[in-house]
Amino acid sequence: MRDQMAPNVMDQMGATDPGTPFHTLMVEALPGLRQQAFALTRNRADADDLVQAAVTNALAAQHSFTPGTNFKAWMSRILRNRFLSDMRRRRETVEVDEAPAEAFARAASQEDSIALQELRHALAKLPADQRLALMMVTVQGLSYEEVSAQLGVAVGTLKCRVFRARKQLQAMLLGDAPAERRQVEAIRKGASPQASSRRMVESDRRIGAG
Amino acid sequence: MGPRTEASGRGRRSSPDAAFELWLKRGLHEIYDQVAQEPVPQALLDLIQQDATAKKS
Repeated sequence: MRDQMAPNVMDQMGATDPGTPFHTLMVEALPGLRQQAFALTRNRADADDLVQAAVTNALAAQHSFTPGTNFKAWMSRILRNRFLSDMRRRRETVEVDEAPAEAFARAASQEDSIALQELRHALAKLPADQRLALMMVTVQGLSYEEVSAQLGVAVGTLKCRVFRARKQLQAMLLGDAPAERRQVEAIRKGASPQASSRRMVESDRRIGAG
Repeated sequence: MGPRTEASGRGRRSSPDAAFELWLKRGLHEIYDQVAQEPVPQALLDLIQQDATAKKS
């Protein structure tokens, strides 16, 4: 999806000092990379493995990095590509989406509030790319343009991912799905839950058919 | 900590969304900031250092 942003523009965004040694740039990028790896894998041990694998790949390919360009973008793309290739390999034996949410929740400390644990569980149910985009914008404080440069994904696609992630989390955590809202409203007006559910199903079917 | 919405539902339409946004931001920071603040595994730093040393020699 890099087609919507010219590579030279992406590389200039977040450009690094050409005089900074490659290995120094790598060490400085590690905390952010570890956050991204955790957002992708949902699991601390897998995140550490992913970062180690990405670093190994990057060290082997360091001749392909152009000094003065965006190092974090270069590393983020290596990390994400490594994650995707690991996922494809794992899918041959295991359905990754069925990985238990506990794997993500396992990182919860005992001090976690119940609400925070619920957030961890809800996050674990989001697609990895949505979780990553949401984390980079909300936690790392990056602009959509910066995330676009780091991941090589169009700004519009990122905005859509973040919007969907927020809405899905809201629906999961607040029970705020439109269908549920309509059901609550119908019940409040006196309809039985069964009747209102039936009407909603029929209504949704009509909308879907139209 | 927990998401809060207005019970009356008569407030501005964006209020529950804004409250959720704020709560979500705090929650995400709590989850992911821990990861960034933890020390980087020594094995990873050694891997980078070894490569740097090898490139110099």
